[in-house]
Amino acid sequence: MRRYFGRKLLIYAVTFFVAVTIDWAIPRFMPGDPVEALVARMQAQPGSQEALTGYYNEAFGLDVPVWKQYLNFWAALFHGDLGLSILHFPTPVSELIMAALPYTLALLVPAILLSFWAGNKVGAMAARRKSLDNTVLPAGYVLTATPHMWLGMILVWLFAVVLSIFPVSNAYDFDVQPGWTWEFAWSFAQHWVLPFSALFLVAFGGWAIGMRNMIIYELESDYSNYLAALGAPSRLVRKYAYRNAVLPQITGLALALGAVIAGAIVVEIVFAYPGLGSLTLDAIQNRDYFLIQGIFLFLICGVLIANFIIDIVYVVVDPRTRIGMQGGS
Amino acid sequence: MTTVSDPRDGEGIAGVEVPAVQPGAPAGPTPAVPRRRSELLYFAFRNAKFVIGLGIVLAFLVLAIVGPYLTDSTPLEFSGPTDQPPSSEYWFGTTSFGQDVFAQFVYGLRAAFLVGALGGGLAAVLGMLVGFTAGYRGGWIDDLLNMLTNVVLVIPTLAILIIVAAYMSMQSYVTEAILIGLTSWPWAARALRAQTFSLKTREFVDIAKLSGRGTWQVIAREIAPNMSSYLFMMFILLFGGAILIGATLDFLGLGPSESISLGLMMNNAFAASALLLGSWWWFIPPGVGIIGIVGGLYIMNVGLDEVFNPKLREL
Amino acid sequence: MMRTRRSRTAVGLGVLAVVALALAASLGAGGAGAKSAALPRAQTLYMSGTQWSPYTDLNPAKNWDYATGIGGLNYETPFRYNAVTDKFRPWLASAGAWKSKTVYEMTVRSGVKWSDGKPLTAGDFKFTFDTLKIPTHPQHALWQTTGLKSVKAQGNKVVFTFAGAPGVQQFDNYRFNVLIVPQHVFKGYTDEEIATGNLEDTSNIVGTGPYTYQSGATTGSQAIVWKKKTDWWATKALGLKVAPTYVVDLHNTSNASSLANLLKGNIDLFNNFAPKSAIRSNFKTYFSGAPYHLGANTTWLIPNTTKQPLNDKQFRSALAYSVNMNQIIDKAYQGLVAKASPTGLLPIWDKWVDRAAVKQYGFSYNPSKAKSILAAAGYKDTDGDGYVENKDGSKIDLQIICPNGWSDWMTSIQVIAESAKAVGIKVTPAYPEYGTLVDDRGHARYDLVLNNDRQWSNTPWTYYQYLFQLPILENQATVNFARYSNPTAWNLTQALDKIPSSNPKAIKATMSKLQRIFMQDLPAIPLWYNGLWSMMSTKYWTNWPSNSGGQYAPTAWRNYWQMTAIDMLTSLKPASNSK
Repeated sequence: MRRYFGRKLLIYAVTFFVAVTIDWAIPRFMPGDPVEALVARMQAQPGSQEALTGYYNEAFGLDVPVWKQYLNFWAALFHGDLGLSILHFPTPVSELIMAALPYTLALLVPAILLSFWAGNKVGAMAARRKSLDNTVLPAGYVLTATPHMWLGMILVWLFAVVLSIFPVSNAYDFDVQPGWTWEFAWSFAQHWVLPFSALFLVAFGGWAIGMRNMIIYELESDYSNYLAALGAPSRLVRKYAYRNAVLPQITGLALALGAVIAGAIVVEIVFAYPGLGSLTLDAIQNRDYFLIQGIFLFLICGVLIANFIIDIVYVVVDPRTRIGMQGGS
Repeated sequence: MTTVSDPRDGEGIAGVEVPAVQPGAPAGPTPAVPRRRSELLYFAFRNAKFVIGLGIVLAFLVLAIVGPYLTDSTPLEFSGPTDQPPSSEYWFGTTSFGQDVFAQFVYGLRAAFLVGALGGGLAAVLGMLVGFTAGYRGGWIDDLLNMLTNVVLVIPTLAILIIVAAYMSMQSYVTEAILIGLTSWPWAARALRAQTFSLKTREFVDIAKLSGRGTWQVIAREIAPNMSSYLFMMFILLFGGAILIGATLDFLGLGPSESISLGLMMNNAFAASALLLGSWWWFIPPGVGIIGIVGGLYIMNVGLDEVFNPKLREL
Repeated sequence: MMRTRRSRTAVGLGVLAVVALALAASLGAGGAGAKSAALPRAQTLYMSGTQWSPYTDLNPAKNWDYATGIGGLNYETPFRYNAVTDKFRPWLASAGAWKSKTVYEMTVRSGVKWSDGKPLTAGDFKFTFDTLKIPTHPQHALWQTTGLKSVKAQGNKVVFTFAGAPGVQQFDNYRFNVLIVPQHVFKGYTDEEIATGNLEDTSNIVGTGPYTYQSGATTGSQAIVWKKKTDWWATKALGLKVAPTYVVDLHNTSNASSLANLLKGNIDLFNNFAPKSAIRSNFKTYFSGAPYHLGANTTWLIPNTTKQPLNDKQFRSALAYSVNMNQIIDKAYQGLVAKASPTGLLPIWDKWVDRAAVKQYGFSYNPSKAKSILAAAGYKDTDGDGYVENKDGSKIDLQIICPNGWSDWMTSIQVIAESAKAVGIKVTPAYPEYGTLVDDRGHARYDLVLNNDRQWSNTPWTYYQYLFQLPILENQATVNFARYSNPTAWNLTQALDKIPSSNPKAIKATMSKLQRIFMQDLPAIPLWYNGLWSMMSTKYWTNWPSNSGGQYAPTAWRNYWQMTAIDMLTSLKPASNSK
């Protein structure tokens, strides 16, 4: 067991190192100078241009050789320092991310878990009943083929513009202050429903289809036929089939994370939801190196942690894995 | 997942893998049972799912090919009146800039098929290269390739694409498709590695090896043909996935902006507040186009799965 | 199975707990103890369209970034300027005059108090102007290019001493654009903080203006709230009262979300671009018909004059004649903007326009004229591809750029490219990211670019400096992107700077020369006046600025409060039908 997780941790460490290096490098080796963009935006007069450029280059640590910038980046990282935002200078990147993170998590985590749970249940039911299958299957395919942003736009149009049931955008009403009040909670909940639904529905379609197909595979497999031939009640057969079918779904969960995060980014943009997605676009459009890096770092960590959790869950759920680890391989 | 010696690998669990593009998209196929082509075709065209899926995709393909000849307008031209609902003259209405939505739609379909075919194709080729090599050679090469797969898998690829696209300012859909292809192969590589793993111990592979064929000859002549159905279905999933990723990039305004695409149509409509001002004819078609193509491909995929896997037909 | 379910539930609960914790942490930091009692709607002015970054920058020096209201509602300027009447109005300074050719004296208004009760002094003026000496201060140019040598406080007077001939036009600009800050508060800050910091401590928002800070200056905040002062100095001194008890500025998260708020009646003053179809019956605009909005700045088509064939003024002229402005106005703006004068000068500077020169040199859309200019200058289509070639026979293939995502501009450059092609000039549109565009523009790596950086001001000098500034630097970050080098024009611009406003004749003569040079050489092609976008809802407030009423700037944009936007607040009236 320890060897298994030790090896996994090593892989995660290497992946983290490579990913962070790429994260550092990509914005830096692209053409264009963020400080110049900043100086242009502030409409500096030609006389003060040089002083400003020099000042900001130094403030962002861009005045040292690239290799040194890279070392400084790691050094700062271990102190939890993600640098200063260029766009919102001199606000620390970590402060901006911390302000946005709760909103993204509030969308993502429930959307991932609930869609996984509901999708698997409905998919398994569909595999049992032909009548249900006839609705779940087409609906599932339409949902899973739907671009997140389009579903978001349709939801806004239908439920916010035409029917006026839910608000069009943002995370809470403009006249409400975030805080532990019922008023805020109510406003937050109202604004949460549509973006959550957009993420949930697309993912739900995928899980339902996946589960439906897996169950059919399992029910057609030898052990199922064998059990059935032995006269086991079909409920029991289905139970075993479900247990086996859910395993690949868990693997799929890890693979799907990238897509869900991508979905969250565009959904947040459609709803002007003040999370990491909106922040990402802002950072990219304004060429804010450090903000891009910081957000990206968070996403990498998030995906790695989620993967690790899924690994653990898998070990817990699948007894075969445990046997394999104890020396079977 | 994300492990070098994944205890699940080589178990031959059917359809373990789902594309990274959409969570839990259609289950992957099982290794093919060799059978005659004519027989497969017969079953394929008797399979309702396959026929419906293929029909939808072909319908959109035909529209993409002939559509531009049905309209006088070019997609970006400001020829028409602004903000008109659909009419006999402008079938899908016009944008608030006076562009013909139908023209945008059919040209957008072309872009979608291009990005899907090219991006999906490249991803399939890369997935095959990595998957076959890792699975067939094993050892340290396998470890190394697995590590590479894991890195690409763990990095939120859309985030990378966004950054690269933002800085490269893409000039054409070919560039966009290549970028998508370069980042969406990992799940395919993993799946193929597992399949190759189980195939390479079969007798006919051993015989080929003994006859002195090189690695790639064995892969190309013995292993790949035995997975041809699997490979075809994988390509279909990658094709659909590439369209979705492309649409997302275009929606973020990061795709080529000199020409039109379905994602860019959504971007334009959204930026011009079409949602609030009720210009539904502007933002509904692009989504329907994408769902049609991608959904059609997925349904086709399940149909094929049933064709290749006779047991499944019985349900 | 049970096991499985239990562990999955446990994981789920665990993750939910993490979310709850994260939310709690952020809210605790941001909104602890925030009273969310709704503001009285009928006494509150809601506005949007200024703030795109978080409300965390409280530094009055950063006049492109500070939280809406920091300048204007909280800090104020020595003078105000009314562009319609071209008049300065004494504000924190009760008077100001040139005592000699090189000495200007301001009198500090008596009876003005900071919001913490301390009196406003000449020392505060001197302190503020001295902070501009910091090389990284955004307004540092005051000490570099006007000839200013010292600022002294003498009793209730502030004495500005210049060396040589002062740049009076520029100095006039600073008179209503430097926000006076309290020395007793700001002396605690370092130079670096004053020039570039965010000065995040909200207890240090101590101003002389009509409003005090109430809430919202935090990272995740969606709105900043200002509350009316009971004892604003201008009530006693000038009889002015601001109408709204609360002024709330809403963060722009996206055009769509701001527009949704407007359509729902949540916003009273909307300063974002909105399509024409969004103008509803209960919304007022400054003009009741096209172009609906005041022009805030000129949008220019800027050629890179260091590149062939754009270095040829004949070619630039042909390009200018080719632009189908009406199509841009119709398609990209649905009639919401007006065509610019061939001089590029804003309507507020109309009195300086030399009509004879415009008649002689002005251009307008005329494709056949464009073609004949090209032919006369020797540009011919030698290879028969439908596009003219350079005089040396090489191909002309120009690229026109604007930032990606600026959809009205993207549409506009498509029209420009099409209409240029119609006269035989090959132009292709491209949409790089803003940062790339800035970089390329600064280093002359472009052919044609759109720009509208210069806003309303007291003097056309700001426009001519933008067009003619010399010398050309390695990076032309903010002015003369065209790299147009004409020492005569630059000398005239500098001369214009030195003519006092009391001598309109001399100004007019110099302006006339500048206009002639400009229209003959076209170092930039003026296209249209970008709007001072403003939709005003009459649901809660009436008596909005308009062409036929109070001719004030109907905007919350930064740097407009000290022009006439504050008059908008003092002239507003509650709508009678609202509670």
